[in-house]
Amino acid sequence: MNLSLKYKVLMIFMLLVFIGVFLYYYGAKVRQEEADAEALRDYSYIVREYALDAVYKSKENPVEVELYPSAYTEAILERWKAISDRYPEFEYPEAAIEEGDWFKVNRVIKDAEMLKDTVDKMYEDATVEFEGLKGSFTTLLDYIFYQKYEPSNIEDILIDLGFESPREEE
Amino acid sequence: MKKRITVIIVTVIALLTIVSYLISERLNAYQDIEEVIEQEFRTLRQYVEDVYAIEFLDDDRALVFYSWDFPAFYNFGVMELEKTWRGWQFVEAISNRMERKRAWLKGTYAEIGDHAILRGPTWASVDKIEIITADGREYIPELGRAEWQMWYLILEDEPFEEATFILYDSDGEVLKEEVLEFDLNWPE
Repeated sequence: MNLSLKYKVLMIFMLLVFIGVFLYYYGAKVRQEEADAEALRDYSYIVREYALDAVYKSKENPVEVELYPSAYTEAILERWKAISDRYPEFEYPEAAIEEGDWFKVNRVIKDAEMLKDTVDKMYEDATVEFEGLKGSFTTLLDYIFYQKYEPSNIEDILIDLGFESPREEE
Repeated sequence: MKKRITVIIVTVIALLTIVSYLISERLNAYQDIEEVIEQEFRTLRQYVEDVYAIEFLDDDRALVFYSWDFPAFYNFGVMELEKTWRGWQFVEAISNRMERKRAWLKGTYAEIGDHAILRGPTWASVDKIEIITADGREYIPELGRAEWQMWYLILEDEPFEEATFILYDSDGEVLKEEVLEFDLNWPE
């Protein structure tokens, strides 16, 4: 059996087409998987950070996750709102919260300059004496998200400014 | 002759690729469910998780009760898996935040697949829970132990909005009685 040159060329061409199509779909699949993994990573972060409830409807192509605020989310938002009421430049993204766009909400609070300016103002406005170093921009994040006082002198400042109720005497 | 050999080699390679792919797919059907669960947690990025219980609803459906997120493990999840010809597959997962803190008991209502489920954390010294609804129905939920202790109930009949929970210790003494309310419309 002798294959003609035409037939040979055709076979090589077909093989190349086959390999090309395979590589194209394989590449598209890998890119899709990477995008899905990235989306799930973002959801995992936002669920943890904002104490959200979540329904994972689909984990691939496309990723579908519904997010709902929990009682703990409300507590986070209350602390955030209280600070924003007193310091209006400390933005409270009411519309994004209403829409449930938690990624947008998160972008608002990650403004380091806004956080630092507000912390500085709180130390200025407070009438109590405090020891140690002043808080940095992470101080407000720690307080709003975890109700953690870092550095510890921020607790007195927050009580003094009326954000937190006074500690019970032991 | 040479050409014919080339054709045969190419065909054989193509066939081998397809056959090995089918075999690997088939092998998936015999995989270990615990490995699948681990893999699903990695996919969902719900790291540092704790599995409290795996409930098989029938031969090809399972519910996994877990909590995740170090160090508090306050995100309580339930995941449904289904066995298909490709092995155990993810169907749906629900994660509810329930901070245990000083509470004896917490609980949330959720619907996953065709099932209504009540679940939440409870104190480690609780050995048995009795649930009594307003219309007199009684249930004994399952308890699963990992980082915390979790109670769960897969409802077979009508869900209820409120019930009294009686918590017993291992000696059968009543530790606490609490009334829990459930939002049957969650998550709407």
